[in-house]
Amino acid sequence: MRTRIAELRKQRGLTQEDLAQRVHVTRQTIISLEQNKYNPSLQLAANITRALKQKTIEDVFLLDGE
Amino acid sequence: MFGKPEWFTRRKYLGWGIQPKTWQGWVYIAVILIPIIGMQFIPQIDNNSRNAILIVWAVLLAIDIVDIMAHLKIDEREKMHEAIAERNALWAIVIVLAMGLSYRIAQSIMLTGKPQIDPVILSALFVGLGAKAATNIYLDRKD
Repeated sequence: MRTRIAELRKQRGLTQEDLAQRVHVTRQTIISLEQNKYNPSLQLAANITRALKQKTIEDVFLLDGE
Repeated sequence: MFGKPEWFTRRKYLGWGIQPKTWQGWVYIAVILIPIIGMQFIPQIDNNSRNAILIVWAVLLAIDIVDIMAHLKIDEREKMHEAIAERNALWAIVIVLAMGLSYRIAQSIMLTGKPQIDPVILSALFVGLGAKAATNIYLDRKD
């Protein structure tokens, strides 16, 4: 799975720490997500989608091949 | 109770438990240790009182550490990492205990002709077995 977290986060002027605090995870988890090293739970994916003001999870998280 | 979870972090690389993360955590350690060390140098306190104070202090400290650990906030990625690390540590322990038990049995048979089983090692393995079964029953019922 790939993510657009870094791109969308920068568009909104958020730092990794800002986003981490908004979704109650560590900055290291955001780094791992942005580097596509960690697949989040559905709950965390939904929280990140909401924090980045996107409509659907698919706007942020892309399954490989999409 | 006394310590706050935000002062500490889980010990990841050197054992189990918690370690200070902020200066308040170090102050907590100092506040706990200094009176106990200081007490050893007060001659007016007799040995019985000293031991009683030490036991009460150790129990309070253990309760506080468990309370801090229970309230430490870790995210899902950290939880997964911790679970994998604990599983690997457990497997290493189980393998060593099983090897130790086998060695003791083999040694006792060679020396005395009768197998001698170390009750502590055997108990540890059975308690671990029970904990695993109980955890799986709980998790199966939970979700």
